[in-house]
Amino acid sequence: MAPHFVLFEHAAGYGLFRLQEFEEIATFLPQVEESVTDVSKFSQVVNLIGFFPFKTAGDALANINSVSEGIVHDDLKLFLETNMPKGGKGAVLGVSDSKLSASINDACGIKCSHIGVIPEVIRGIRQHFPKLVKGFSALSSDKSQLGLSHSYSRAKVKFNVNKSDNMII
Amino acid sequence: ARGGRGGMGAGKKVVVEPHRHAGVFIARGKEDALVTKNMAVGESVYGEKRIAVEDEAGKIEYRVWNPFRSKLAAAILGGVDKIHMPPGCKVLYLGAASGTTVSHVSDVVGPEGMVYAVEFSHRSGRDLLNVAKKRTNIVPIIEDARHPHKYRMLVPMVDCVFADVAQPDQARIVALNSQYFLKNGGHFVISIKANCIDSTAEAEAVFAGEVKKMQAEKMKPQEQVTLEPYERDHAVVVGIYRPPPKKTE
Repeated sequence: MAPHFVLFEHAAGYGLFRLQEFEEIATFLPQVEESVTDVSKFSQVVNLIGFFPFKTAGDALANINSVSEGIVHDDLKLFLETNMPKGGKGAVLGVSDSKLSASINDACGIKCSHIGVIPEVIRGIRQHFPKLVKGFSALSSDKSQLGLSHSYSRAKVKFNVNKSDNMII
Repeated sequence: ARGGRGGMGAGKKVVVEPHRHAGVFIARGKEDALVTKNMAVGESVYGEKRIAVEDEAGKIEYRVWNPFRSKLAAAILGGVDKIHMPPGCKVLYLGAASGTTVSHVSDVVGPEGMVYAVEFSHRSGRDLLNVAKKRTNIVPIIEDARHPHKYRMLVPMVDCVFADVAQPDQARIVALNSQYFLKNGGHFVISIKANCIDSTAEAEAVFAGEVKKMQAEKMKPQEQVTLEPYERDHAVVVGIYRPPPKKTE
């Protein structure tokens, strides 16, 4: 089985995880589903191998705008190029949505997947993310999401090309 | 009496008691009213009345929660068994509109909790943003609830998903968001307007159909209440997502 990696995008930055080696999805899936509720079990399933924090609120906004449209931002490209193993070796990167996985494949030449066990693993990472990254806490996670949501939503309301219900101010 | 507005027994003593649902209160005055403890003291969100109560701990302000304007309030007064949003929990709120009910949910979960409020309409979204400015436990998200992947960076795993999206494919929308964000064993509270799903069928048949759709998505409905007399042909369905497997002993 080829080495599997999983990309997780958070308001605070990008995280790259390495999945424990497994033989078959069929046997691995129940194991993941069972482990998601327990952080000590879950950290045996995934390992954090890289974290890229966004430096400024502006960086975070630029990145979420790209991620939500399925575009590979320069920061993401750099992050994947530094942290994914060189030379391929058939490594597979798990990504949350199909559009981004296609873009990563085009931009970085990495084989991507967004089905099977991947959504379940991402549920687990989402649950335990603050505990999996050193120096990060549930409070700082909430803070970064709150801040980013305001700037993301404010920009949406102000500027949108294809919405017709914008009011004339 | 203040400004002679009457209503909640102006000038008279009002006693506030905790409701069966944690974080919700009842004000007992000339008439009883459902209230929540105001997170943003001194501010009304949509012109609702505020009640100040003094006790040994100091002054506490409550806001009246109108069941004719909020389906969640109507469900509570209709006797729903559980709302699954105690203080300190995280709620994903789909169909946040201008943030009137969202503001009460923000009161209920309190400063330790969080409300992730999703609304697609930019017109309502503006009001929602203004409500969120004064309440730091609301994460405003102006995005289509049909595409949870677009806001996946903003939402952690939550304890409860509340939905009032009034769309024909509402069950699918909730299932999709639950797959992304709802914990194993987390709960959902869905308001269903029969007309929005199918305007030709009987309301009861529509509700039964929606419950069927949920069951197909690892969502296990546990109770259903109608919102009479506050809303016509509306029901609220409450249930559990991916319930833990029953242990045989």
